Amino acid sequence: MKKYIIATLLVCTGWLAITSCDESFLDEQIYSSLAPETLSDSLGFEAAVTGLHRHFSSFHTYADQQGWLSVWQVGTDIVWAVQPQGIEVPFFRYEQLSSTSGAASFSWTWAYTLIKNANAIIASAEDPAIGGMTQANKDAINAEARFFRAYAYNFLVTIFGGVPLVTEPITAPKTDFVRASVDDINAVIEADLLFAAANLPDIDNVKKKSGKPMFGRANKAMAQQLLAEAYLRMGRPAEAEAQCMAIISSGKFNLRTTRYGVRASQPGDAFSDMFIMGNMRRGQGNTEAIWVFEIENPTDLPGAIGGNPQQRRVWGAGYHGVTGGGMLPADSLGGRGISRMRLNNFVLYGLYPAGDMRNSKYNIRRKFWYNDPNNAKYRQPVVPVAADTLFRIHPYTLKWGQFDSRDAFGFGMWKDLMLMRLGETYLLLAEAQFKQGKPGDAANSINMLRTRANAPQVTAGDITLDFILDERVRELIGEENRRMTLVRTGTLLDRVASRNATAPNAATMITGLTSTHLLFPIPQSEIDLNKDAELEQNTGY
Amino acid sequence: MYRETLQKILLKWTRTVLVASLLTPFSSFANALFQEAIVQGTVRSADDGAPLPGVNVLVEGTTAGTTTDASGQYTISVSDKNAILVFSFIGYVTQKIAVNNQGTIDISLGPDIQQLSEVIVVGYGVQKRSDVTGSVASVPKERLSNLPVTNLMHAIQGTTAGLNIIQNSSVPGSSGTMRIRGINSINANTSPFIVLDGVPFFGVTNDINPNDIESIEILKDASAVAIYGTRGSNGVILITTKRGAVGKPHVSYNGYAGVEGMAHVLTPMNPDAYVQKYEDYLIANNLTQTQILPNTFEVNNYNAGLTTDWLDVATQPGRIQDHNVSLNGGTDNTKYYVGVGYLNQKGVVKGYQFKRINFRTNLDVTATDFLKLGTSVFFTNKNTDGGRVNLLNATAMSPYSQPYTSTGQYEIYPMFPELLFSNPLIGLSVDRLDRGNNLTSGAYAEVTPGFLKGFKYRLQGSYVLEFGRFSEYSGRQANNLSGNGYVSNSETGSWVLENLFTYTKNFDRHHVDFTGLYSAQKNRYFTSNISVNGFVNDELSYNNLAAGTSGSWGSFANSYALLSQMARVNYTFDGRYLFTFTARRDGYSAFGEKADKYAVFPVVALGWNIHNENFITNTDIVNQLKLRFSYGKTGNQAISPNQTATTASTTTLAMNGSLTNGVLLGNRLGNEELKWETTLQSNLGLDFAVIKNRLAGTIEIFKSTTEDILLLRSVPNISGYTQVWDNLGKLENKGVEVTLRTTNLDAGGFKWETNLNFSSFRNKILDLYGDKRDDIGNRWFIGKPLQTIYDYEMVGVWQEGEGTAGWDASAKPGDLKFKDQITVDSDGDGVRDATDGVINADDRIVLGTRLPKWYGGITNTFHYRNFHLNVFIQTSQGSLKNNVDKSYADERGRRNIPAEVGYWTPENKSNVWPSLAYNNQRGYGYPSDNSYVRIKDVTLSYSFPQSLISRARLSNLTVYVAGRNLRTFTEWIGWDPENDHSGRGGGDWTNNYPLVRTYSFGVNVTL
Repeated sequence: MKKYIIATLLVCTGWLAITSCDESFLDEQIYSSLAPETLSDSLGFEAAVTGLHRHFSSFHTYADQQGWLSVWQVGTDIVWAVQPQGIEVPFFRYEQLSSTSGAASFSWTWAYTLIKNANAIIASAEDPAIGGMTQANKDAINAEARFFRAYAYNFLVTIFGGVPLVTEPITAPKTDFVRASVDDINAVIEADLLFAAANLPDIDNVKKKSGKPMFGRANKAMAQQLLAEAYLRMGRPAEAEAQCMAIISSGKFNLRTTRYGVRASQPGDAFSDMFIMGNMRRGQGNTEAIWVFEIENPTDLPGAIGGNPQQRRVWGAGYHGVTGGGMLPADSLGGRGISRMRLNNFVLYGLYPAGDMRNSKYNIRRKFWYNDPNNAKYRQPVVPVAADTLFRIHPYTLKWGQFDSRDAFGFGMWKDLMLMRLGETYLLLAEAQFKQGKPGDAANSINMLRTRANAPQVTAGDITLDFILDERVRELIGEENRRMTLVRTGTLLDRVASRNATAPNAATMITGLTSTHLLFPIPQSEIDLNKDAELEQNTGY
Repeated sequence: MYRETLQKILLKWTRTVLVASLLTPFSSFANALFQEAIVQGTVRSADDGAPLPGVNVLVEGTTAGTTTDASGQYTISVSDKNAILVFSFIGYVTQKIAVNNQGTIDISLGPDIQQLSEVIVVGYGVQKRSDVTGSVASVPKERLSNLPVTNLMHAIQGTTAGLNIIQNSSVPGSSGTMRIRGINSINANTSPFIVLDGVPFFGVTNDINPNDIESIEILKDASAVAIYGTRGSNGVILITTKRGAVGKPHVSYNGYAGVEGMAHVLTPMNPDAYVQKYEDYLIANNLTQTQILPNTFEVNNYNAGLTTDWLDVATQPGRIQDHNVSLNGGTDNTKYYVGVGYLNQKGVVKGYQFKRINFRTNLDVTATDFLKLGTSVFFTNKNTDGGRVNLLNATAMSPYSQPYTSTGQYEIYPMFPELLFSNPLIGLSVDRLDRGNNLTSGAYAEVTPGFLKGFKYRLQGSYVLEFGRFSEYSGRQANNLSGNGYVSNSETGSWVLENLFTYTKNFDRHHVDFTGLYSAQKNRYFTSNISVNGFVNDELSYNNLAAGTSGSWGSFANSYALLSQMARVNYTFDGRYLFTFTARRDGYSAFGEKADKYAVFPVVALGWNIHNENFITNTDIVNQLKLRFSYGKTGNQAISPNQTATTASTTTLAMNGSLTNGVLLGNRLGNEELKWETTLQSNLGLDFAVIKNRLAGTIEIFKSTTEDILLLRSVPNISGYTQVWDNLGKLENKGVEVTLRTTNLDAGGFKWETNLNFSSFRNKILDLYGDKRDDIGNRWFIGKPLQTIYDYEMVGVWQEGEGTAGWDASAKPGDLKFKDQITVDSDGDGVRDATDGVINADDRIVLGTRLPKWYGGITNTFHYRNFHLNVFIQTSQGSLKNNVDKSYADERGRRNIPAEVGYWTPENKSNVWPSLAYNNQRGYGYPSDNSYVRIKDVTLSYSFPQSLISRARLSNLTVYVAGRNLRTFTEWIGWDPENDHSGRGGGDWTNNYPLVRTYSFGVNVTL
């Protein structure tokens, strides 16, 4: 009998152990990722908006394809691609530009990811069911999200033309997108930015953290400046002028005309001070800054930023590789560059009038001395061999100079990004005034910059669109997305023909450029994946 | 069509079987008229005289029978005094004894080596091989001993038809990729499911000491794997460890020691060739040479006449030793096996090493006549500590560079001011600790209630704790000028509990057995890590992370659960006709909330033992002839947990100099309807043994179709998401497998045996997204296999004077010449008939696949008296692989390159190698044929004769010498055609490691 009892007990135990698990046994638990719907309170909204900033930065910090940043400069009027990595090659050998372009694909995905996250925030902020916050708080969050959505659509419409318009969260796979008209997209951009300008705080009133304003967060002037640029693209210069004037007349921003900051006592000038790490932010004395994206060295603050910004490497000269050696990466030389791009002769020789501060040795490095104490020619001037002048020892902008002695190789550049400043506001204003037939006003606007730069004044007679575009180079070289400026103003073909038609060798020549290339190709993978509707390709691809 | 035919066959078969079973009981009726007598006795093992429990005692020609009890005793009544008793026991030679009026018959059974191999482990039980209907291959036993291997995968590679193992890396402690019968999934896991001692195995194959293994079975077709349901699609590997046997305690020592060296060295250019290369590089790039070598340090060393053989500096002679002691034995009711193992391998590249400590104890206790209990417990500790040399950097170093500074420190950039390549040795200064532990505790209880004959209930469970620890500190000498300490810990806890019911019934010539299962499983994983920068100096290593100034941290957890039921029926008629039906129902937690988390997988199989038919008259010629067919459905659940919901990930961003919380929606869209992937497979097999078993083997063909593939599908990024898991697409695999075992010669103490296996499969994508369109981005093409190489077709190198216009206008002499494929439809008839005159992305084609066309192995074993020579040759044929050692793109002017890799110059008009100005802008991958034939293992062993060693009270003494990876025949240019090497910055590039050749000497001794 005992055996039956034991046997029965055992069977029961085994059976119980399993059957006691009810239906919930197969329910799934997600431990380490958040459910999106839990982010609808004040802290959740703040985190989601911070997420937008973080994703936005990946445009500038992407390093998987190291030539990515060059895409926006090569094949225009200002540089030669002397050491291309690959992704930028079709953007100066335009005959190679096709729908499989990695840059087109990255741009597209980057923008739509920004839009997806912005749409989620906008939908939640406008959901009346979500409480616990004041309407003003919700509007401020909404405004910041709309600023980024407008930024993404303005970017997309500038480089691709009309693109599919998505303004609501998507929750299931969708494969029947169609392209919206440019006008429809413009309408969304305008509405978003008007809302943003109305509901974002003045720069002095941005949210605080540890008692200090977070100047990195979105402010009213950012929306206005972006709107001004968008209006110019749409051919509405009067409204663009109004937006620029609103920024200027707000009195919140001033051009830096005097020395300041961490190197104020060392040789330099007011213009170069603005681009020294430690001086770039409003809180550090940069009264000209409208939008500075803050970056910290991840060795000191891990998690501060993703990616490895390549600005220094693509713009800086690869002087460390000079034939014969003797040049070491150094702080005074702006760290280690690799010459993916070289300023062309139009920029280097003749663009700047004599005495223009923006061409000073503190802003554009033109001369070199051997700095390796172990080299026989230590402290002697470098007299480069001809080949080196192309991609080793050549003049370069110091705006992206950054050096960390702990990491002389410096794959990443740990320096703030100057995204919008009052200097550009005057240039947009000048363009808006010129377009309305007010060259005198335009000259006055430009003279604001020239006064600060100790450059000769200009008059109404000097003002043409080309002149304004030249002045943008003088003021904004290295900062502006040159490709987008020329595409926006419809001048890419003319400017390449007039300013960059020749190159020192066949490898760096711009070839194959036609009007087709005013727009990027729609990524082939997107056309293929969108199998239930036709996503029309841009003409010529 | 296919299914209908099958149904018809099934129906017909069932009818025949039913009629036969109704008729047979009448045949033995007449025997009952004779008078009865009682016979009793004891059955012992001829080996050691120990009583044998469980021996079947049968009266020949009747169904009367009994089994011996725990003390080997039996009592049986016979109705005919001239009856013959048949004593049979698995693993022993069957004996027949005539009763002849004896009341007591004691006998000894001798072990039957032939018979042993005839009983095999199948899923949830053992089966006589002759009764098996599925495709089950046993790994040859000799591959499990006397080999200097650290991982069982290395031991069984190439030994079994249908089992494909690729040793991607030879890094000590690494394993490899294992696949059974093609590839049945695109994104989901394709590794076979491993079952250890009857329960799912949690861990890595390295946790298992090959010395503890008794047998390995590979389950291949649907019939064999169906009982593992959703984990069966990729095949199943059953590993059974050694257990105790009745008898006096045996203590065994198995050990070997060996030396290791690089099997093949891809030698870099010598100093003169290197200097010449720089000159040629400058000429090719139209640059003026101003100094002998590009970098300051190189020039200084050149002037001083100093060179370094960097491979010599980076490598060392390796060594390996392995010691195993085991104890096994048992009494009638307690059997035990205890094994302890210690392995120590020092790599051939400096800094690499592997140590493993194992402990195992397997216990079986017969508690009462109806209750049996047992445990299978083991612990493994693996250690791959140590900072490591970077072999890639060693191959890149200029011969005119020095490893050490004048003060004996590592020269961090030996080619200074070139900063792309740091000193390959600096990794040796890294403090690195890498440990893995696996504690597996398994137990079972088996009830055989007397009141229900043939019924057995088994409860088995296992709890597995895997815990890992990784710590690393990189300091100043490792080129980390602020110091970085990193610590991570991980823990996985898994449990499985299985209720198993079996019922066996023999009546007349019918044999039925039933197996039922109810099982549950849960797995939970947690890991955490901290990384800290900014140390005053490198004194504290990773032991006080609070000494740093800035840090980051993370943790991650997930879990999954499975709930399953299974039923299997085996029916055998007269040992001739075999029928199996299996169905398993599985539920998996990781499927979508709106999907049915359960699925059912049924399989049917038929077998026909032709050799048992009356028309096979000459059983000396035909020893075995068996036809098997199976058809059924298996599943694949192999996606990770947490894939079906849309989630938001956390991030951080600096604002005002400190971190702020951020949140971003993930790139993967959720799919609440995600469900099983299913594979329909049919298998036809023929097992045969002829001419007194001199020639035996198996031939099998199979075909499988996988549907509802768990596909990580790309979606238009317009939605902001890039991917979604979906059940899409269709995939086909078909193949043939041949295994042959022959005794070629058996005369006068000399015996020569051959064991050969051959496998070939074709893999084809039938559909992806339901629209028959290719997915070029993922390199998936309808009608083509997986793992394709899709690239330009290189047809040579552009020579001077050749016209490039209308083909590749921008090409210069010395550039690679690619074929301009026919991509244009010039006459608009819908057929492409012309080239477009430029080389662009459209000119890429499917050149081949990384999957081999066929693979196999051949083992020749020669026995002469007590000497045994075993030669194992393994091969893989017909695959392509991108060759990173042929392409250094724009780095060829900045680093050393292999001497075998040439370059084009106007004088040396190579049609294979491009010029040094060629930067590979199109990203050509240099796909190359990586077929090879390898003399994998040669082992010569000598077993001392019993007469000699019995004086020393030993029961076995064997010594052997073995050589591994002795020679490889291949066209591949590189370190090895099988091992993967990565290019700088890609893949696992800091751990490139050569294939290792090992010579070892070993001893096996048993007390």
